Amino acid sequence: MEKTFVWKVGGPAGFGITTLGPVFAKILKDCGYFIHGYLEYPSLIRGGYNSYQMVFGKTPVTAPKKRIDLYIALDDVCFEKETFDDDTIVIGDFDNLKKAYDIKGIKVNVPLKKIVEDLNGKDIMRNTAALGASVAALGLPKEVMTEVVAASYPGKISKPNVDAAEAGFAHCQPMIKLEKTHNASCKKAPVMTGNEAVAIGAIRAGVTFFSTYPMTPASSILHYLAKEARDYHVTVKHAEDEIAGILMAIGASHAGARAMTGTSGGGFALMNEGFGLAAITEIPIVVALSQRPGPATGMPTWTEQADLQYALHASQGEFLRAIYSPADLDEAYKFTVDAFNLADKYQIPVIVLLDKFLSESHFMAGDMSTDYGTMDRGLIFKGNPETPNEHFKRYEETENGVPTRSIPGTPGGLFVAGSNEHDKTGFVIDSAENRVYQTDRRFKKEPFVAAEMPHPYLIGKEDAPLTFVCFGSMKQVLLEAMKYDDRFNFIYFPAVHPLQWDKVADLLKGKNLVAFENNKTAQLRALIAENTGIYIKKTCLKYDGRPFFTEEVVQYIGEALK
Amino acid sequence: MKPVEYNTGKIPNWCPGCGNFAIWNSIKKALANLDIEPHKLALVSGIGCSGKMVNYVRSYALQTLHGRTMPIATGIKLANPDMTVLVNGGDGDGYGMGVGHLIHAIRRNINVTYIVHHNKVYGLTTGQAAPTSPEGTITKSTPFGVVDATINPLILAMATGATFVARGYTGESEHLTDLIMQGINHKGFALIDVFQPCVTFGGQYKYEYYDERVVKMDKMPSHDEAVKLAADQEKLSIGVYSQYERAPYEARHPEISRTVEMKDVSKLIEAFI
Repeated sequence: MEKTFVWKVGGPAGFGITTLGPVFAKILKDCGYFIHGYLEYPSLIRGGYNSYQMVFGKTPVTAPKKRIDLYIALDDVCFEKETFDDDTIVIGDFDNLKKAYDIKGIKVNVPLKKIVEDLNGKDIMRNTAALGASVAALGLPKEVMTEVVAASYPGKISKPNVDAAEAGFAHCQPMIKLEKTHNASCKKAPVMTGNEAVAIGAIRAGVTFFSTYPMTPASSILHYLAKEARDYHVTVKHAEDEIAGILMAIGASHAGARAMTGTSGGGFALMNEGFGLAAITEIPIVVALSQRPGPATGMPTWTEQADLQYALHASQGEFLRAIYSPADLDEAYKFTVDAFNLADKYQIPVIVLLDKFLSESHFMAGDMSTDYGTMDRGLIFKGNPETPNEHFKRYEETENGVPTRSIPGTPGGLFVAGSNEHDKTGFVIDSAENRVYQTDRRFKKEPFVAAEMPHPYLIGKEDAPLTFVCFGSMKQVLLEAMKYDDRFNFIYFPAVHPLQWDKVADLLKGKNLVAFENNKTAQLRALIAENTGIYIKKTCLKYDGRPFFTEEVVQYIGEALK
Repeated sequence: MKPVEYNTGKIPNWCPGCGNFAIWNSIKKALANLDIEPHKLALVSGIGCSGKMVNYVRSYALQTLHGRTMPIATGIKLANPDMTVLVNGGDGDGYGMGVGHLIHAIRRNINVTYIVHHNKVYGLTTGQAAPTSPEGTITKSTPFGVVDATINPLILAMATGATFVARGYTGESEHLTDLIMQGINHKGFALIDVFQPCVTFGGQYKYEYYDERVVKMDKMPSHDEAVKLAADQEKLSIGVYSQYERAPYEARHPEISRTVEMKDVSKLIEAFI
């Protein structure tokens, strides 16, 4: 079995833990390694304990591990939080660390404080010095490190960081012989977070309006789009709350924009009434929903998949919505493009369901093809200049339950977008006949939407004795585990609603099924049971705020197949 | 167009004698005077009797959720600044549930005109207290009298920096028409608080009450005077309380584009290599 290596750095917030990850990722990929970076941090600005784990190897790596091969300890807090094996290399400034006396592992003393003082540098540069030492310990080339560090820090702070990295490098000998790799494709592969892939997908799809309120772990979508707003003509608004966030987007979409919002569960709770408004007015809207543990504030900076049933049912009344559940960068990017087209074509709210693990971890992109997708804005009334101020039957079926949109400003397309039930022109009406017509018409779209959603499929050997069933980022976890034990396969749901459930049922039949979910109540299992009558008895669930670590999956398989 | 041509053919189902009829007529007259074509007009409303306006004025209309007119209107104006955006909502809608959004709309100076139907009561839900109901008012939700202090919308708007603040009265419909025209012409956020008696649930606050107290201002008062006049509960002054220039929100967003097209993201992706 191929060896993957785990490098990890830990320390209090404010020690530059999170900035180190992407720098080291670049060094590794320039050396030809595949990487995955997993970040853990509490909800505070200074203090506490942050860690960044880099898993790397000669083939794609997609999930974190428990076992640490090399660890950089920047503070005594690390020894309270982490456990090491006898052969874990622990790099630290041990003259200045007081709680390391009884730890396991091979201690490598690097005088980080002195290195930085000798350079007249800032305290925070201990992180770069430690990075240099770890690069030396791994036997990676100094030139690559120097080049990457120089390019990663802008202007005045570039040279001091290079000096710190090189000084750290000089304090350590090669201790590990990594397997050689010549994978040139890694050097050219982008490394980013799931949120960044979603934001780039939105720009690809021509998003012109994005409004929300910041909420971890969705905020970086807002940050990214705000940064690119002027170059890519996206009006980005940080609204007063999530209620305003979704409603501004709905107003903009009504007026012809391609509009999106993005939030986590708590923010989505505030958006719920607006979500229903988009549904009844048939104003297209895309919502990126990144899950974190709830209820209420829950665990803001941790991961969970516990909002699946919520996304399926949010807002009062019965209406059609679509939910993509991407697992990786490629899907996060492509499904976001698809979500805009689907929302426009069927005039429905569309959710791209993420979780903190996907939203904020670093992954290596496989195929984020820059030319993905073509514009489909659906049925739009061209206007009638001869009768510019006449009303238009905006809510009359044109095809497949879908009516023709009329964008404000279009001559002859007047209508009322009503949050009340409405007639074909949008005027409020309570008649029984109209209610049934409009409800049936809106639901008539469902099978057509289902046919366009990415369908669940089997990954792994057809005849495996164990079949996990999962959605979203759990695909990444299971792909990683499969490298260590391939006695299982799994059915992956890249989307959860609406689906062609008769076909899903065929896929599930005759297998030893285990619901594999990052939640307590196996919510995908409930959805499957509701739609197919197939109740999966066995579960492998995790709900402690962390994604599954590879060892945990391998252990489960071992026990299940004993 | 003539005012009557802004009718939609739907007959308002407000109570006979409702102040909303006067607001409806003033809106249509203002639109006709300004020659705003219905397909260039985005009408936005909240929920309540005032919210029904979307059904009666020929336009591109959007009836929002209770209290949420401002963010919707903001989204429309930012997406298409060429549209004239006119908002109707009640005092419960705008000063109760929606007061947070109102303050932010004022901060932003979004170029929309907001007509608030001020009747000191929740009409459509059969008469509960509004944030404008004076202390002591007995309603279904306050059988022992309102104990909350009363919101003064004009002072609130001036204090938060609104660039156009006015008060109208449905008993002075020509005056109201003029205020609406001024509000639409104002380049920025225009709040027009309109005394609109609820003839069914309005308690003592009916036409007789206002007719005895309403006075037209002959010119815009100074800021200090405006605050005093706005606070006066006996002499109810109508007219423009405050107006000044500040670039409207949409003018401060050079990124606004109405072109929706697939974009080349190769540079964005390259930045992560």
